[in-house]
Amino acid sequence: MLTDAWKNDIVLLDGAMGTVLQQKGLPPGGKPELLALTDPALLLSVHREYVAAGSQIIYANTFGASAPKLARTGHTVEEVVPAAIAVARKAAGPNVAVALDIGPLGELLEPMGTLTFERAYEYFRQIAVAGAAAGADLAVIETMTDLYEAKAALLAVKENTSLPVFVTMSFEESGRTFTGCTVASMARTLEGLGADAIGLNCSLGPDLLAPLLQELCENTRLPVIAKPNAGLPDPATGLYDMGPEAFAAALAPALDAGVTIFGGCCGTSPAYIAALGKALAGKRPAARHYDAVSFVCTPTTPCRLDGVRVIGERINPTGKKRFQQALLEHDLDYILDVAVQQEDAGADILDVNVGYPGVDEAALLPQVVKKLQSAVGLPLQLDSSDPAALEAGLRVYNGKAAVNSVNGDPAVLECILPIVKKYGAAVVGLTLDKGGVPRTAQERVAIARRILDAALSCGIPRQDVWIDCLTLTVSAQQEQAAETLRAVRTVREELGLQVVLGVSNISFGLPDRQLVNRTFLVQALGAGLTLPIIDPTRREMMDAVAAVRVLSGEDRDSRAYIARFADAPAQTAATSAAADSLTLEDAVVRGLRTDAARLAAAALNAGEAPLALVEGRLIPALDKIGEDYERGKAFLPQLLSAAGAAQAVFEVIKTAIAQTGGESVKRGRLVLATVQGDIHDIGKNIVKTVLENYGYETIDLGRDVPPQIVADTVQREHIRLVGLSALMTTTLPAMEQTIRLLHALPEPPVVMVGGAVVTPEYARRMGADYYAKDARQSVDVARKVFGP
Amino acid sequence: MGENGIKLDIGEALRYLGVKEDPEGTMARAVETEADKLVRALRPRYVYRLFPVGQGRSGVVLQGSGVTLPGSLAGRMLAQCDQAALLACTLGARFETMLRAAQARDMARAVILDACGSALVEACCDGLEREIASRYPGRYLTDRFSPGYGDLPLETQDAICTALDAERRLGVQVRSSHLMNPSKSVTAVIGLADAPQPARVRGCAYCSLAGSCSIREGGKSCAD
Repeated sequence: MLTDAWKNDIVLLDGAMGTVLQQKGLPPGGKPELLALTDPALLLSVHREYVAAGSQIIYANTFGASAPKLARTGHTVEEVVPAAIAVARKAAGPNVAVALDIGPLGELLEPMGTLTFERAYEYFRQIAVAGAAAGADLAVIETMTDLYEAKAALLAVKENTSLPVFVTMSFEESGRTFTGCTVASMARTLEGLGADAIGLNCSLGPDLLAPLLQELCENTRLPVIAKPNAGLPDPATGLYDMGPEAFAAALAPALDAGVTIFGGCCGTSPAYIAALGKALAGKRPAARHYDAVSFVCTPTTPCRLDGVRVIGERINPTGKKRFQQALLEHDLDYILDVAVQQEDAGADILDVNVGYPGVDEAALLPQVVKKLQSAVGLPLQLDSSDPAALEAGLRVYNGKAAVNSVNGDPAVLECILPIVKKYGAAVVGLTLDKGGVPRTAQERVAIARRILDAALSCGIPRQDVWIDCLTLTVSAQQEQAAETLRAVRTVREELGLQVVLGVSNISFGLPDRQLVNRTFLVQALGAGLTLPIIDPTRREMMDAVAAVRVLSGEDRDSRAYIARFADAPAQTAATSAAADSLTLEDAVVRGLRTDAARLAAAALNAGEAPLALVEGRLIPALDKIGEDYERGKAFLPQLLSAAGAAQAVFEVIKTAIAQTGGESVKRGRLVLATVQGDIHDIGKNIVKTVLENYGYETIDLGRDVPPQIVADTVQREHIRLVGLSALMTTTLPAMEQTIRLLHALPEPPVVMVGGAVVTPEYARRMGADYYAKDARQSVDVARKVFGP
Repeated sequence: MGENGIKLDIGEALRYLGVKEDPEGTMARAVETEADKLVRALRPRYVYRLFPVGQGRSGVVLQGSGVTLPGSLAGRMLAQCDQAALLACTLGARFETMLRAAQARDMARAVILDACGSALVEACCDGLEREIASRYPGRYLTDRFSPGYGDLPLETQDAICTALDAERRLGVQVRSSHLMNPSKSVTAVIGLADAPQPARVRGCAYCSLAGSCSIREGGKSCAD
């Protein structure tokens, strides 16, 4: 039975299962997850020893009872979970609680692996439902190293059971998990998602875990759990180096930091739990010191809002033809590129708005979130008025996000705030309502208060409410600039909330907009603006932010400011010196992206047709570097640098065409895929880069692609050329199978294959039409198929 | 050089990139830049454990590990050894994150980073080999060999990772295709004996890629 003791008292968990079983004779590599079926008496004896040692909560032997881990055992989750809970229950008796133990699935989630978030959720749902039905008192998600996987498990338990749920993750001494997650990101994300207690388990002994536990206690208001290893293992023997008394003594700093729930992981045994019980006897929980800072994050990038933080505005179709076209064409690579530019320019958070007529926002937003999080570290602010899109986006977001936006309209608040609360996001409140934008600062502050009250009563903490005081266009409503600044000052000073402004709105209709934008930015920052939404690729805007950070004292000893301007003049000189004699062809061959883009824009302005530019200048330049590459005079990085410059040229052409609505340059479409079982996709990505920069359009199916998916895509899209890549001998059969399926289609495409282990001989034997040794040869094949 | 003292071999990274001549040193400089970023950003992780060597029906048995090493290579390598170390080394998921970020920005830089990652994980294994040698003075080590070398099947990777608890201790997973994820991960075996051990593994005679190797086409060997 589970009492409420864990909420504010000291509670004792159990210790290791695996290492104790090994001591009792289970061989390493034996299947401990099946013990409830194969040797329940052995399992019962271990549980009983923990109960006798004083454990108040014992973990049922379900750590590995997930469908992927049971796959090769011939047993199901529905068999193993109830059996394991029943054994634990028998040992627990009336006074000890039984936890459903949920461990990692053993497959890496996207983007590191190929297991989707949705699939992982389904696996966890299956365990959670089985555990609740079998009568578990609570669920414990443990030994997680990927916050995304922990989130999938937590949502699965909360949405499908009413069990309290604890989550513990494993950290290295560096303060990060294997996947790079920080303690603060973990704590604030999981608390936001509704975990009941959080903590650290495994990986280190209590001595090395102590500073991380301290940090964890400062980043959450939830009860904190410590379940460390018995020190570190000896490589020669596999034995851990810390005895029970030393282990218990080393947890004293954790108690002082505020940890209240204690247990042991690898290398511990009932003796450790008994020692721990003795050391904790008569102790009271220590006072906690929670840091109530405003915060958003991804796992790797915590973002504390304790200074000016720049929100990048460019992922937004409003007024941008090229972006609109990308949305309609489902060109996620383009959106990622816009994100990358803003991250590299120094943004702290990226606003993401993909709403546009003809776009299914609820379907697209989660795809964009996943795409961005595959290569950009920054936290995201999901910008939509569609609750379904917001929920879908927040669900797959890895970390703690922000939502843009709600306003003072009760109907909007009622609809959006519960979603914000459920996913633990921060929320931007616009100071307007059904009556429109109030004309006075006072009225806007009144709306801000209403939004804050609504959020608080929904359970959203104060620091997660950000207020947008609204920038109006100064050329239309001149007196409003001062009202906005007044509202900023009042919200900051009287309510103490984060303040957001979309700065660029100020200057519509005026010449030299950047000057007006920058001046208003500086004024607003002076009035208390903390979260300017700007275009971070505008250097002068970011320069102003850098200067304000010096003047406010945020940039200690002006270090960031000095570093920012250290090499700036040298760069400008180098570019202009090189610019004089450079041709577009040279720029592409030498991989000079900026110059190539500039020269291409100049050529288009001078009236050169896009197609002529591509066929007459770009392709010959790529051919030149390609020939050098074949002769061993240039190497792969140089070939790809040239492709990168060609990409910049194509971007200029696409932007020009999007603006004029002309015919786009397309030389043929093909499908690329890394075959099933293979997760190494850099080779395929190299081929994609080079082909796209010859003007071919690629449908990139990614890696670990089932043969049927390739065949279905080819049939649906009427594809004439397919490129398949495999890196390892073990995945060649999947390549062969894919080729067979493709050749059996009514309109079989031409198939080219490549990759480290593929040889011309293999290619022929597998029935491929072409073998491409490298990216360069794939272009030759494409020319044969689509014409020169 | 990283804080852990591991320095990756720039020449090896250049070989992975297929760079055969670099008279002006431009490629070497580009590789050095990425290598430097990599060793600053990453701490490779490793784990190893020693097991007694025994002979089983289907190969060399590492007692208490659940690992059997089938085939003639392992038999030959461990013939004089009473112990063997199983080891696993990885650059971890953070390398994959860096590589994805680089690919979204500049493929040229990404392929250099990829080559540096391969060289770094090798360097880490070399470092681990030295650590084992210094920890057991008076013992002689065989060459390091890995699943996929000679007739030691790639499948052996699964059992080695299980024996080392690599998923929990390193964050390394073996997929059903026997590939490891994160990709820059290596498992290997090193025998320990009381007598000096001859070099047996390095070189084209033992390499399964010898038939299609571009380094060999140039008349060289990666073991040079």
